Amino acid sequence: MLELTGLTAGYHGGTVLHGLDLSVPAGTVHAVVGHNGAGKTTLVHTIAGLMRPSAGTVRLDGRDVTGQPAHRIARAGIGLVPQGRRVFAGLTVDEHLRLSHRPPRRGDTARPSVWTPARVLELLPRLGERRGNRGTDLSGGEQQMLALARALLGSPRVLLLDEPTEGLAPVLVRQIDALVTTLAAEGLAVLLVSPSPAQAAACARTLTVLTSGRMALRLSGEEARADATALHAALELTAPGA
Amino acid sequence: MELLDAHLVPAVDGVAFGLLLFVVAAGLSLAFGTAGVLNLSHGTLYAIGAYTGAELSDGTWGGLALGLAAGTAAACVAGAGLSAATAPLARRGHLAQALLTFGLALIGGDLLIQFFGADELPVRVPEALDSSVNLLGHRYPAYRLCFIVMAVLLAAFGTWVLTRTRMGAAVRAAADDPQMLAATGHSPRAVHTGVLAAAGALAGAAGVLGAPIIGPGPGTSETVLMLSLVVVVLGGLRSLWATFFAAVAVGEVQTLGVSVAPELAPYLLFAAMAAVLVLRSRFAEPTEAGAGHGSEGSGPDPVARLRGLLAGRLPGPKRPSVRLGRPPGHDRAPAWSSRLPGRAAWWQAAPLLVLLVVLIALPALLDAYSISLAGSALALGLLAISVTVLTGYAGLPTLGQTAPFAVGAYATANLADAGWTVGPVQIVLSALAAAAFAAVVGPAVIRARGTTVLMITLAIGELTGAVVNQLKSVTGGADGLVGFPATRALWGGEGMLEESELYNYALVVAVVAVALTLLVLHSPAGKLLTGTRGAEARMRASGHPVGRYLLVAHVCAGALAGVAGSLMVTVQQYLSPADVGFEIAAFALLAVVIGGTTSVIGALLGAGLIVATRDWVAGSWPGHGPLLLGVLFVATVYVLPRGLAGLRSGGPGGGGESGRPSGTTGAPGTPGAPGISGDPGGPRGSHGSDSAAAEEQPPSVPAPTRAGKVSP
Repeated sequence: MLELTGLTAGYHGGTVLHGLDLSVPAGTVHAVVGHNGAGKTTLVHTIAGLMRPSAGTVRLDGRDVTGQPAHRIARAGIGLVPQGRRVFAGLTVDEHLRLSHRPPRRGDTARPSVWTPARVLELLPRLGERRGNRGTDLSGGEQQMLALARALLGSPRVLLLDEPTEGLAPVLVRQIDALVTTLAAEGLAVLLVSPSPAQAAACARTLTVLTSGRMALRLSGEEARADATALHAALELTAPGA
Repeated sequence: MELLDAHLVPAVDGVAFGLLLFVVAAGLSLAFGTAGVLNLSHGTLYAIGAYTGAELSDGTWGGLALGLAAGTAAACVAGAGLSAATAPLARRGHLAQALLTFGLALIGGDLLIQFFGADELPVRVPEALDSSVNLLGHRYPAYRLCFIVMAVLLAAFGTWVLTRTRMGAAVRAAADDPQMLAATGHSPRAVHTGVLAAAGALAGAAGVLGAPIIGPGPGTSETVLMLSLVVVVLGGLRSLWATFFAAVAVGEVQTLGVSVAPELAPYLLFAAMAAVLVLRSRFAEPTEAGAGHGSEGSGPDPVARLRGLLAGRLPGPKRPSVRLGRPPGHDRAPAWSSRLPGRAAWWQAAPLLVLLVVLIALPALLDAYSISLAGSALALGLLAISVTVLTGYAGLPTLGQTAPFAVGAYATANLADAGWTVGPVQIVLSALAAAAFAAVVGPAVIRARGTTVLMITLAIGELTGAVVNQLKSVTGGADGLVGFPATRALWGGEGMLEESELYNYALVVAVVAVALTLLVLHSPAGKLLTGTRGAEARMRASGHPVGRYLLVAHVCAGALAGVAGSLMVTVQQYLSPADVGFEIAAFALLAVVIGGTTSVIGALLGAGLIVATRDWVAGSWPGHGPLLLGVLFVATVYVLPRGLAGLRSGGPGGGGESGRPSGTTGAPGTPGAPGISGDPGGPRGSHGSDSAAAEEQPPSVPAPTRAGKVSP
């Protein structure tokens, strides 16, 4: 369960995210939809500890992790699949898996499931064929798989997916969407950030529309799937520069 | 066979020397390549090990083991301390960290001399190894053979850790993307500390074991640093094997080269380095190769090629406009304000005018000695301004401006010797010679960015120093040049001998040079440079031949340094290799940093402060000039992140682009001067915890809108 209350963040000189409240219960997908510059990546980076929020809290299963350094947050159980994949250029797939494999501490039973390299390769068999290849030798889709594997190997409770299908072919997009659903069914809380309302509606139990760093609309997945008008209206009415 | 026989001993010596360099350079390369710290105090870490080893070595195995443990531990702790010292500066880029380490090297060197004395310490090797063995009919010291074995083991172990272990993977991942390393639950800070501590340990171990080869003494740090920098430049940062071969090659040049061709040996390094730089820039950096040369239609630069094609098809596209994507409505204001000096312009010029008045009044205020110091300060100030042009405007932080400086200085001294004593003639010819030199080495410099430039220019400066020492007929070698006729200010005048005369001459030359520089920097040419530094890719994409701009900037800066060199010779009326050495290059860079990297007046003030510290304040505490300057370095890096210029526009941390002398220099929309806080090499490899988080932020936000919204 990931809970954000009044999360406010920005860069020196300007606030990007204004008091966002949001919660992702375990086993569900919460999608955040917004245009470029709406603050989606800022949101993800703030949760993951890559940026410090200026106000508000981030709670993980009730435990306050606000403002902690990124590696602590990762160890606490928040896995990040960043925008643009950001796999390590100089490391082979195998090294990625070994480096990211971090079994939960003994006594830490709150993990929905424990991942090992072998299990990750079962889920993402394509990576098994490229184990000796360096990160940058992989195709875009393979890099995305590797970034996902990297996040999973920390056996997270919460998975942050920042535009995981950016630049991928439709067949891969469907594969990723299916993976997201599978992972949520395992008990992970998934925060999916996407510019695409269609993808969000397809995967998520709850949707939040972000415009200029503020929540413009929140609706359930069923509502969005039944009638996308409200979703589209929220996105287009306040589109910056439109 | 006979040839081999005759040179066997130096050849094996070369292997030992090369392996020593490899162990040291591997640490340097590790610290720079993976922790992003160009550690200019790496030689000091070696010296710590060497001194400790020499102090504890008593001719027994136990002494060696104790020395090895203590020396390695001491250097390891020093490395960890270095990590703690540089970590707060990580967001300010590589340059700030490199400068800090240089300041620490000055301090450390002074403290080591304090502690161990200014003489070279004798080193005793264990008695069991203090003998000779028979090596193919030659007697060879057993210790060196043993050292070769130990160095190979050390190198193999290091390579294994780095390439085969999870820890090594974490180190390489940290070099690549520290944020993502953190996102996998590893602390990048811990990796940073570990890498620097390990690099320190390597240097310390090399120091203890290598003390019988490069012994501990006052010059040790610099020798080791320079040689290992050469190794790193030659070997690149990509592979340890390349570093290994580079190290052995340098070792062979230093030993076998000296024994085979004693006259050529000092140039061999230079030749090897030049060859590598040229080869590498042609094969490894194809995107930049085309821009350096004139032809835009055929170079490998895709943008240039595209432009060439377009130029052939489209009806006469105009030359690329100087205005950098500025909305048309804003066009008029800066042009207007630069023609009619408004209040801002006066405010901007005020410090310069005040400084000018003070400088004119100076001869009436000071005694003869101080006046001659002031003259030297002006020369160093001009050198610092040339560094400013490169560092602050062109984004090429340089430690090698002493090379054109030396060319100018020796040109003037030789001209004077040949009877050409008219000042303006000396100045112009020296400037031309220095410019020609800069044009020759320029292509190697302008291909690199960021700290790599620092290394390449450092090597150029050092190798120029080697040439100076070698070309005795022109430079007088280590003795320098004295007794050449004094310069005459103008045709028909008398030679200037009085300090105040010389000072006034220096002042006039400096004023003319500064005025010219300011004129150029405030012209569209200056804006092109600013734009290039801030957004090079965008400039290329807008059709600007960036490489050519940088080359021209490098040549102009070289000419300015030549003028500075000429002036220095005229003012002090002698010339020694130390006047154009590494220390002076570092001082020039320090002056620039003190001043704020884009401030011309700041560079002058910085130079004045340095000369005052070195020759005036240190006069009352003799022998501690380096310590004071080191403290000055460190204090500047921490306290004045934007230099003196930063004080004027809101102080350090005041946000925004304060290093820049206000609106007339940079067009709105171009990123402002980064001061030393910016990384001229771009954001890659930065260890700031939110460097990539700034992706959604526009790269440049004009100051007035800073306070408001961020997203455009």
